[in-house]
Amino acid sequence: MNVRSPRRVGFTCSYTPLALIHAAGFEPYRMLPLRNAPDQAGAVLHDNLCPEVKRVLDRRLAGDLPPLTGVVFANSCDAMRRLANAWSDLDLDGLSTLLDVPTVQDERAARYLAGCLDRLRDTLGDWAGEPVSDDALRASLDLYDRLFDGLAELGRRVGEGTFAGGRPTYQQWLNRAVCEAPEAVLTELTDALDSEENRALPGGDDVPLLVFGNVLPDPDAAALFEGCGARVVDDDLCSGSRQLTRVGEIGDRPALEALAAALMHRPLCARTMRHADGGALAAQVLGRVVESGARGAVAHVVKFCDPYLVRMPALRDAFRDAGVPLLVLEGDCTLRSLGQQRTRIEAFVEMLRESP
Amino acid sequence: MILPYFQDVVRGVEEKLSEASAGQPVARKHLTLELARLGVRLFDGEHKVAWCGIATPYDLLAAMDVTPAFVEFVGASLSSTGMAGPMLDAAEQSGFSTDSCAYHRAVLAADEAGMMPHADLLVGTSLPCSGGLAVIEQIAHRHDWPLMLVHVPPEEGEAAQEYLADQFRAMAEFVGGRIGESLDPERLRRAVELSNQARDLLVEVYALAGAVPTPARRRDMVNMGITLALLFGREDGVAVARAYRDEFAAKLAERDPHLPREPIRLMWLQNRIQFRNPVEEILAEEHGALVVADELNDVWWEPLDPADPLPGMARRCLSTPLMLSARRRAERVVELARRYDVDAVINPCHWGCRQGTGTRGLVQGALQDHGIPVINLEVDCVDARQFAEGQIRTRLEAFVEMLLQRRTAGA
Repeated sequence: MNVRSPRRVGFTCSYTPLALIHAAGFEPYRMLPLRNAPDQAGAVLHDNLCPEVKRVLDRRLAGDLPPLTGVVFANSCDAMRRLANAWSDLDLDGLSTLLDVPTVQDERAARYLAGCLDRLRDTLGDWAGEPVSDDALRASLDLYDRLFDGLAELGRRVGEGTFAGGRPTYQQWLNRAVCEAPEAVLTELTDALDSEENRALPGGDDVPLLVFGNVLPDPDAAALFEGCGARVVDDDLCSGSRQLTRVGEIGDRPALEALAAALMHRPLCARTMRHADGGALAAQVLGRVVESGARGAVAHVVKFCDPYLVRMPALRDAFRDAGVPLLVLEGDCTLRSLGQQRTRIEAFVEMLRESP
Repeated sequence: MILPYFQDVVRGVEEKLSEASAGQPVARKHLTLELARLGVRLFDGEHKVAWCGIATPYDLLAAMDVTPAFVEFVGASLSSTGMAGPMLDAAEQSGFSTDSCAYHRAVLAADEAGMMPHADLLVGTSLPCSGGLAVIEQIAHRHDWPLMLVHVPPEEGEAAQEYLADQFRAMAEFVGGRIGESLDPERLRRAVELSNQARDLLVEVYALAGAVPTPARRRDMVNMGITLALLFGREDGVAVARAYRDEFAAKLAERDPHLPREPIRLMWLQNRIQFRNPVEEILAEEHGALVVADELNDVWWEPLDPADPLPGMARRCLSTPLMLSARRRAERVVELARRYDVDAVINPCHWGCRQGTGTRGLVQGALQDHGIPVINLEVDCVDARQFAEGQIRTRLEAFVEMLLQRRTAGA
């Protein structure tokens, strides 16, 4: 049987409007910093740039990505912009575009973003050979909202410890949601959530933990935390609970306006800020710690990530003031770098277990 | 500690200027003097102060009588006066990673040590770098000072321009609210006229500096474009630009028209190394290679419309070299390299700078496509502790040798 391979559009950042890509008839494919492609990006991108960005380029240069019709980069940070520049300059895929996403969360930014999304819609329409219709967009937004809800439910059950396979399985689903056809993933996920086989009883003495930071998509990394005696009850990661954006009820609003508003109201990540509220990120993460019942938090920060590097001392202070234990791990997106920290994670979990 | 330093500089330079004889080069001293006076205004507690991102329109703040400084200005000042080392040590003790930009670490440590002056307000800009924006945010948060964030789009289109101009409008309202005085259209018009005068003079200055051989002395043009912008919208900014223009024009008019070309003419990308270092001395004294051009010593914007300047300010900001894509930036560098007739380019890859250094490979590739050799110096432009003189000397020697061989082969 001759199976037609899907037309994929690559992306990197969780701010990317997947529903828009999907509505244009493409399958969004998140170019995750996984696997072990040889280091070739160093010839183009400096050693002091984010390892996520370099590993994505390594994967592409090594032919470790599926064929892509084009790539949508988001202007997440300096490093991601440089990746977009490299992609374009090296002519890696004929088509690539940079979506500007305001760093600031306010109404003016949402209006501007709606305009940027409108231009992206035209670009994707050009790539697809036909315009992206409103109906298609609304249908895709609905699909991704349902996928978001399914993953949120899965995350909740994993956090409770009532879903078999725990956090590594959750991470596999999260990765599939952005690397495979969303319709199929949603169907399978719904079945998995309904299946008796996947029900589990919470482990007795696992220490509830929250993991936050930027990108940590390797299911084995999740397994590492569990292997150290922790149960990751919640996360605040770009490759975790912040990976998809829920748009919700659109009503009479133009769909793109609703999408822009939803993107601007996402939980903060390190690159997004609010006027006059420099403590917003710390407050957000601490709020999740309290809400999830975690006894401590692990910050997994990708090396050379400036927004985190600059804020880390203040984050530490905020955690100390709130009396929430914090372990900071710096990594390069490989399990190897995280594995080297196993002893520290074990000691941290042990400390949490013994603390009153 | 910093205020007395700037006051000493003001006194010393004023004295030297009063003693200078006719025809003696003094333009650089005028720039130093006005920057030191700016430093005094920042630290004396008598002026309204705004800590800013580099992309802030300083002429707009000048119209509101607010003294601006980008935070990197303090990092550079600490470095050039040898005070950055202890600050960086302190920053590292406080948990700031050495992988971050030393300009920013030095400022954060200076702030922690109580050495930064009170700010009436802060304006963070998302370009040129994410780190700079986070620094502004953190300083504001630490002191609970009023902060406005400006998102600078990484493109030059109409939508980006409108959005940025709109944010500048909001910025004027924000500043007005903080200082208790709205933006006066007449004062804005005057500031813009002064800004345009400085711009026009700078066009002349850079054209004169590009003469072969250059009339500029070795340190005349260091950090000029980026720091003079802090004086846009003010009489002193115009006076400094005029001093440079007059000095270079006089030199060129008086000198022997048959002076030989410098053996090797070089262009410097992005920022200079801020602490005392021998790079230019090695190049000039040992190899006859002179830095005759700086990427940031350039006028890339059109005059602003005094009646409606914000769109022009937005265009100026969006077309700043450090805001551009790597390809656009490289095109600009190639154009400058041709204009200044340089033989090669030095790119100091400031450790911790994702913005400038991040484009290293892309800019190098583009320049080499145009036959312009590049040397990438792996340095930290602020942290003298990391400066490896021997290694840099060897690399410079090899680079110059390559340039000379290239010339011989070409001949």
